[in-house]
Amino acid sequence: MSADTASAASLEHLKRILGEVADLKHAEAVLDWDARVSMPPAGAEARAEVSATLTRNSHERFVADDVGELLGELDGLDTDPDSDEAALIRVTHRLWERTRRVPSELVGEMARANGVAVAAWDQAKAASDFASFAPHLERQLELKQRYIECFPEIETAYDVLLEDYEEGMTTTEVVTVFDRLKEELIELVERRREDSADDQLLRGPFPVVLQQEAGRRVLEAFGSDESTWRIDETPHPFASKPGVGDIRLTTHTDENDLTSLFSTMHEFGHGIYEYDVDSSYARTPLGAGASSALHESQSRTWENLVGRSPGFWRWFYPQLQTLFAETLGGVDEVSFVRGINAVRPGLIRGDADEVTYGLHIILRFELEQELLAGSVSVHDLPEIWKARMQDYLGVEVPDDARGVLQDMHWAVGLFGYFPTYQLGNVISVQIWERAVADLGNLDERFSRGEFSSLREWLREHVYRHGSKYPPRDLLRRVTGSDLDPDPYLRYLHAKFA
Amino acid sequence: MTEPKFDRLRERLAEVTDLSKAATLLFWDQRVMMPPGGSAARAEALSTLSTLAQERFVAADIGRLLEDLRGIEEGSEYESFESSLIRVTRRDYEKATRVPPDLVGEMSKAAALALSAWGPAKEESNFEALRPHLETHLELKHRYVECFDPPDETYDVLLDNYEPDMKTAEVREIFEQLKQQLVPLVQEIGEAGEVDDSFLRQSFDPESQREFALAILGRFGYTDDEWRLDQTSHPFQATPGYADIRLTSNFRPNDLTSLFATMHEFGHGLYERGVDSTLARTPLGSGVSLGLHESQSRTWENLVGRSRSFWRFFYPRLQESFSDQLRSVDEEQFYRAINRVHPSLIRIDADEVTYNMHIILRFELEQELIEGRLAVKDLPAAWNERMAAYLDVEVPNDAQGVLQDMHWAGGGFGYFPTYSLGNVISLQIWERVQEELGDLDQGFERGEFDSLREWLQEHLYVLGRKFTPQETIERVTGSRIDAKPYVRYLREKLAPQPA
Repeated sequence: MSADTASAASLEHLKRILGEVADLKHAEAVLDWDARVSMPPAGAEARAEVSATLTRNSHERFVADDVGELLGELDGLDTDPDSDEAALIRVTHRLWERTRRVPSELVGEMARANGVAVAAWDQAKAASDFASFAPHLERQLELKQRYIECFPEIETAYDVLLEDYEEGMTTTEVVTVFDRLKEELIELVERRREDSADDQLLRGPFPVVLQQEAGRRVLEAFGSDESTWRIDETPHPFASKPGVGDIRLTTHTDENDLTSLFSTMHEFGHGIYEYDVDSSYARTPLGAGASSALHESQSRTWENLVGRSPGFWRWFYPQLQTLFAETLGGVDEVSFVRGINAVRPGLIRGDADEVTYGLHIILRFELEQELLAGSVSVHDLPEIWKARMQDYLGVEVPDDARGVLQDMHWAVGLFGYFPTYQLGNVISVQIWERAVADLGNLDERFSRGEFSSLREWLREHVYRHGSKYPPRDLLRRVTGSDLDPDPYLRYLHAKFA
Repeated sequence: MTEPKFDRLRERLAEVTDLSKAATLLFWDQRVMMPPGGSAARAEALSTLSTLAQERFVAADIGRLLEDLRGIEEGSEYESFESSLIRVTRRDYEKATRVPPDLVGEMSKAAALALSAWGPAKEESNFEALRPHLETHLELKHRYVECFDPPDETYDVLLDNYEPDMKTAEVREIFEQLKQQLVPLVQEIGEAGEVDDSFLRQSFDPESQREFALAILGRFGYTDDEWRLDQTSHPFQATPGYADIRLTSNFRPNDLTSLFATMHEFGHGLYERGVDSTLARTPLGSGVSLGLHESQSRTWENLVGRSRSFWRFFYPRLQESFSDQLRSVDEEQFYRAINRVHPSLIRIDADEVTYNMHIILRFELEQELIEGRLAVKDLPAAWNERMAAYLDVEVPNDAQGVLQDMHWAGGGFGYFPTYSLGNVISLQIWERVQEELGDLDQGFERGEFDSLREWLQEHLYVLGRKFTPQETIERVTGSRIDAKPYVRYLREKLAPQPA
């Protein structure tokens, strides 16, 4: 057997194993989706066991020695570094090494801690009782420290966490971008303090079935179809792709506002990215979006850059007005678009507008670093939260439920995740400027209900590549530059200043 | 019990059960939720999961643990959890390890291919398109049978997959009795004149049917906390986890049959729901056989759902829900219509009496095929001939004849008899319930079904797979499988009354 055919055999073998791992993850995704969408509540206990078994099996299969041996055999493989094969080997190798670093006992402890802490968080938030959640947060931080210690060669502790969501991104880099944003955003918020936009007109009532109809029309115009997509209602919207050709979105429709429409477009952005990944990457680690920030850049693109643009509403507002003739009959298009783009410093990240959103994230990013460094103790967290909300957004936090307890992320051990939201915003406009440079006036296309050229451009330049390129390389390929806050700031200034 | 080896066995079995429960959910999701574009990826995922579950189960260390635990099995009460788990697992294990994984793979691939050929073949009424697939299946079945010790009859090995320990000879004897009694009964009923059931084929809003079905199930013991009910073209029941019971039904706009299909699936679900919680995540945690399972679906569909007392309670409510359609139909007319006996072409549309003739016909043909007494190419002719002999109906084409069911395409030879065995067993259990609880009709007339459900739960459902099907029937009814109660029931309920 020649070296080439031996390598080809190793590669086939590796792909077979990765396919099995992907199939188990497919099952995990369906179980998770079902638990949130369709499972009768009493099934939760048994489901937890089944999910844990699947997770353990996919983990064990992936970290097994034979995967390492195959990667070793393939290391010297003489392929074009730009080929799919080289990418598959590189991505798998990186993932395998990182996963092997963490002892399975620690993985198990973290999974259990998440289960316990999220239940405690639920109750603590309902009662606005931070003290009852504090020990769980301390436990999560302790586990994170142990996790960080698995990667002694990485100097900055927070870099270890970032690496899980944003390969190659450093804390220093994020700090540089966020410091710049912070200064400008605070100033912009200050200038918009007297925003005269009337967002009261968005208070409904908007009957749920009609909102769902509006969501369906938008999704259809964006390019989803019933043979591949579905959309359901859950308290917290999310997107899921169990496998190729199976894209599932959820939204939360509340009669009192129109936010479900925007969350539908947001989740569509996640969904379309996954949908358009090259199908030859299916059942391999290349078959998903490149990073959390890249993913978020696309959800924000479809939610904000498209979904809050004048062109989009020129097309869709007449339809919306017809659907909600009673509430919107007397509201003209211009007032409506100003209403959905009102800048209003508020308490809750999930409800924040495009301008203030970034400050919610920067606050969390700073606190995470301080908590890990020990310069802020869990005990003092609520007070510091309140003080900083005052500094950054000029709002007073009345209770912890609407303060430090509002997000689930820390309860489930997600530290290092928050910054990717804001990096997504930054990247979204970098890519957008490129798309506009290539395609010309998008607003005009949107006003005709034409979104396919944008979608096709994004498919060609971003989506189809899946995880083939590290996020930094992908960004360079698409935009010709590194992470850069200028386009995003330009966009905000042009739209809101 | 603090025997570490027993705990290890339990752990291993819990993992296998979890993997097959995950497969159950994926199967349910595919039929109920998944966008059709996902089917190729889903097929891969399901195949990986089933292979993994199978590999984990037939692993050598499970065999060793079972050997090492013989002492515990013999030293514990036969009825104990420990003894039952070891005993039943050993039986499953010995059976599973007899069949080489390659053959398992070939069979499931053949089934997938044949099932995709069956759809169009039925559509076009083209038996020839399915014939080679059935021939492949029969070849594979022969190789499968050869994996086991020589049986009395080849068919025994196939039957054992669905009704463990049941012998072909025993089924034949029961079916002979049924045939002798039912052929003349069908004739008598036919001579007594037609029952009008045309009002059942009006337009009935599917959403209202669903609401009504849920109202019935609510009285039976369905709660939103543990159950759900969805729409699919073929009704089925799935249990992807303990206390997670899923039913589907097909609410169609032109008849009310979905009400009965829903009660049928509920019976399957209730059996699964009632298995003792301590048996969850073990091979003991489900219903014991298809025959026993079917006995419970038929109990809730027919013995409860087509009884006079049930409709005494529900008919006024049904009339209220569908007043335009049923205003001028009285309760007795309705009762007679839903119990109309009339020979017909399609098994799943058949009434309580003729249903069994459809099954007996299939049972006979299956044996002849597997024993080589009937060639696949001659199957359609044999089918049509026997439909004429048993039910006096003429089969106009193969779509409404030999191609109507998917079972054979899926490789499910030996499955059909369990449907009629279920009917037979349902009455044995039913007579026992009546001996113990007295008249059930009074409760039904008030919309109360708790005492029946609780009795079944306590005496049957709770047992799961701890005992063999035969042992289970004997524990519940005190006797072996016996066709007499069922024949008695059919005569009493459906034979024409002398004028």
